[in-house]
Amino acid sequence: MSRQDYDAIIVGGGHNGLITSAYLGRAGLKTLVLERRHLVGGAAVTEEINPGFKYSVASYVVSLLRPEIIRDLDLPRHGLEILPLESTVTPLPDGDYLGRWADHDQTRRELYRHSPRDADAYDDFGTLMYQLAWAVKPILAMVPPDPLSMSPSDLRTMLRLGKHVRGLGEKQFHALYKLMTMSSADFLDEWFEFEPLKATMSASGIIGTFLGPRSPGTAYVLLHHYMGEIDGAFRAWGMAKGGNGAVSESIASAAREHGAEIRLEAPVDQIIVRGGKAVGVALENGDELYARTVVSGVDPKRTFLDLMDEGDLPAEFVDAIRRFRIRGSSGKVNLSLSELPDFTCLPGRGPHHRGAFSISPSIEYLERAYDDAKYGDFSRRPYMDIIIPSMIDPGMAPPGRHVMSIFVQYAPFDINGGWDDAKREAFGDAVINTLAEYAPNLPEAIIHRQVMTPMDMQEVMGLTEGNIFHGELSLHQLFFYRPAPAWSDYRTPVRGYYQCGSGTHPGGGVCGASGRLAALEILKDLGR
Amino acid sequence: MSAGRYDAIVIGAGHNGLVTATCLARAGRRTLVLERSDRPGGCAVTDEVWPGFRVDSGAHEFVALDRRVMSELGLGRNLETVAIDPMVASLQSDGPALRLYRDASKAVDAIRAFSERDATRWPAFVQAMGEASQALRVLSEAAPPRVAGADRADLFELARLGMRLGRVGRADTIELMRLLPMTVEELLDEWFEGVALKGALAALGCRGIRQGPLGAGTAFMLIRGLTPDAPPRAASWLPGGMGRLGEVLADAASGAGAEIRCDAAVAELLVQDGAIAGVALESGDVFESPIVASSADPRRTLFGLIDPVHLDPDFLRQVANYRDRGTCAKVHLALDAMPGVPGTDEACPSLCVAPSIEYLERAYDDAKYGGVSQAPHLEALVPSLLDSSMAPEGRTVMSVLVQYAPYDLRDGEWDDDRRDSLADSVVRTLDARLPGLANRVVHRQTLTPVDLETRFGLSGGHMHHGEMTLDQMLIGRPVPGRARYEMPVSGLYLCGAGTHPGGGLTGSPGMNAARRILG
Repeated sequence: MSRQDYDAIIVGGGHNGLITSAYLGRAGLKTLVLERRHLVGGAAVTEEINPGFKYSVASYVVSLLRPEIIRDLDLPRHGLEILPLESTVTPLPDGDYLGRWADHDQTRRELYRHSPRDADAYDDFGTLMYQLAWAVKPILAMVPPDPLSMSPSDLRTMLRLGKHVRGLGEKQFHALYKLMTMSSADFLDEWFEFEPLKATMSASGIIGTFLGPRSPGTAYVLLHHYMGEIDGAFRAWGMAKGGNGAVSESIASAAREHGAEIRLEAPVDQIIVRGGKAVGVALENGDELYARTVVSGVDPKRTFLDLMDEGDLPAEFVDAIRRFRIRGSSGKVNLSLSELPDFTCLPGRGPHHRGAFSISPSIEYLERAYDDAKYGDFSRRPYMDIIIPSMIDPGMAPPGRHVMSIFVQYAPFDINGGWDDAKREAFGDAVINTLAEYAPNLPEAIIHRQVMTPMDMQEVMGLTEGNIFHGELSLHQLFFYRPAPAWSDYRTPVRGYYQCGSGTHPGGGVCGASGRLAALEILKDLGR
Repeated sequence: MSAGRYDAIVIGAGHNGLVTATCLARAGRRTLVLERSDRPGGCAVTDEVWPGFRVDSGAHEFVALDRRVMSELGLGRNLETVAIDPMVASLQSDGPALRLYRDASKAVDAIRAFSERDATRWPAFVQAMGEASQALRVLSEAAPPRVAGADRADLFELARLGMRLGRVGRADTIELMRLLPMTVEELLDEWFEGVALKGALAALGCRGIRQGPLGAGTAFMLIRGLTPDAPPRAASWLPGGMGRLGEVLADAASGAGAEIRCDAAVAELLVQDGAIAGVALESGDVFESPIVASSADPRRTLFGLIDPVHLDPDFLRQVANYRDRGTCAKVHLALDAMPGVPGTDEACPSLCVAPSIEYLERAYDDAKYGGVSQAPHLEALVPSLLDSSMAPEGRTVMSVLVQYAPYDLRDGEWDDDRRDSLADSVVRTLDARLPGLANRVVHRQTLTPVDLETRFGLSGGHMHHGEMTLDQMLIGRPVPGRARYEMPVSGLYLCGAGTHPGGGLTGSPGMNAARRILG
């Protein structure tokens, strides 16, 4: 009968695709991963764009990678080593700064310097956030049920969900309700008064979204910052040794050990569907490969609108995927430096260079950066999250030299007039000029600069519209709505075709939960 | 000295207070309504501002009362309404106005001039919004159920609510849940392409709140303002003006046996042994009652009228964080004639300046940083086209809702200069779209949020008694854990727009509160 080359073929060798392949391989399936580029990792790659200098080209920190995945796949043995990022410093326009350090007491003293009230509130706030992270954790680890289905398993999950919510204390439930619906600025206004503190904290609520800190719905993302820590992992907020590509490499190595085959430079053109069932894939080079199960790790738009014939999908579902919001809003600038940036607020070389820098002096600053993007421009004075990877892992740059990783927001995919080389450079200039206000030696120190716009992320990494989360993390695109109602359990309307990327629950960040949960659902369907 | 003893006292004779009082009186409770101004109605009032010119000084638009209020209070016969049609004429800076009609085929024809595709989608959009609003109506006709720590009775209530939603349709409910947290821009992008149509509809999503159409939860705002059997933008005129609603509801309350006292401002809620004992008026009079329901806004009730020793500090902190600073002003204009609306000879009693989503968002941007919109969003009603009693023969009176004009200006205070420049900006904005209007203005009056606060007792001048973003709606109104009308002092209830399901002339909060009180 029909040919079957593999048990499972996975489209896309990003971290989620690799995780799915490793779990399937571990269960004894003959698994193939097809990656379009010459290296695995998707958006989590390390590349030597400038010889000797290693850039985590897109994704640059690790915080949310699920501990059960690290454990199940024994990633440390495959080379994963997470190095802590110890601090966050927010340089201020008046020459002062706000520092938050690894040492709790030092942070408290620092906050006290700016606002005694905030120093007191900081601990209470942290406690509440830990509690809420605990409350949310089981939901993130759950396969979303289909709320319309009457099947026993969906009803069971709904019941479990109901019980969980009912079991939360009233105080926690109410705080959670506010967190899910408020803007991060409003939420933080209830706790703190020092603008740079509120701004820097609220910034974690806007990363990767096309929203400003005053937009409702951004408060909930604040939780993510605390999610990593409740797993008991020591300083879970860190950078992988060797850059974020090393995370992908370690997962790929684990997958290979479990028998998965990874084929590079093998772009997929089309999913082959016969009799309403996915049976394989056609590559761009014309090859056809067949398997009982096909899994897509790419974003929902690509998964359903590019790789499939619309005729094979219900019209309603196609509509839902079309309206799935996936606007890219961020860019990335990577620099090779001849010397460290010298910050006016903390002159000379210091421990702050081993941590993160946040350019977020006030909520209004962030909000105005958002305003630019709303009307189709990149932010003239953007929000930035910066690390100096070579200070954490000296292997990232030649001795005495450095690399700098700058996450920049906002840069809309749909920029007025479209992205071109001139606009990309203008965007890069805006970043450097803004940064030079805080570290005047920076422009002179630049040996090489790589500017990634959302358009580049789409072209190079295959992220539709350059959205780093495979779809915006707004409430109506989460849980059982991600990516479409009734299709949030990693299955698709086509039998044998599954999705395992960030466009599924819980989505976003190098967390890997989507890849793992998808693999577990596939194995369930296969009776393994 | 006690001046009287009642079974229940209602503070404020606004529409919600009157609904609560009527329900209590009908259930046989001896009920007293205390009103601080000289007549009942609250924001539903009509004033003669200049000789012969009458305007609705507070509430701007009437869509529909809660159907339970209509039937249980027997208002059907007494409350005459006239459908406003065209529902709205959305003014453009060049070219004809976009008119929307109640009748689907007329609306389709009008939209077709702007976009063929949008015209064909209009009927389905109206139906989808009707279905969503039907599901939402189920939620608005009940006290928000307790979820966390729910006991048996709560679970029973929750199940009943679930069944009622099930009857509306499970798919509709799931769809409604998807729509609620969306931005109104996202919602409209799913349906339409026309800039003008999207602007005119998006305006409904941010009316009265400090959000632009790109703010999450504004889709919910649009849907909650609808009534299931009429298209978005439908509204009605009450012959005689908005004050008519206040009169009808006051008559219903009196008819049911409630006593209404005007010029009776409450100074303090009296508490004894942790339970409400009555109220003291500013005049010194004391009325005793084991039940007090306040239709004043949450801040005024809980921060103004009650000694804080009776309230838990954590609860007070939450109320302090309740966001209720208004962003709407009203400008009333008397004109010696009504300028023509571009593109039509038809009388258009309802106009708006909301030409695009971007226009609205930019108007909001100014308010975000504490300023007045340079180019404001306007909703203008021309009562004299609907009702000859509103202006002298041949003259025109126009009532304009202006957004955004924040209560809390970043620099400076609301004074006469700022009032003037706001009125100037309104006239200029209208004149650019209704050529000749500026020269026809005979009188003008500006009510800033500060004036609305003084006149109507609205904290922050907020016409909805507080922001209607999702965190302050449903189980979060006014604060999470206190959305079921009972306040933490036994016998004290809230029954105004600061409770679920929020502002607007529906009477739903008053009705829900009365049902909780009656148990």
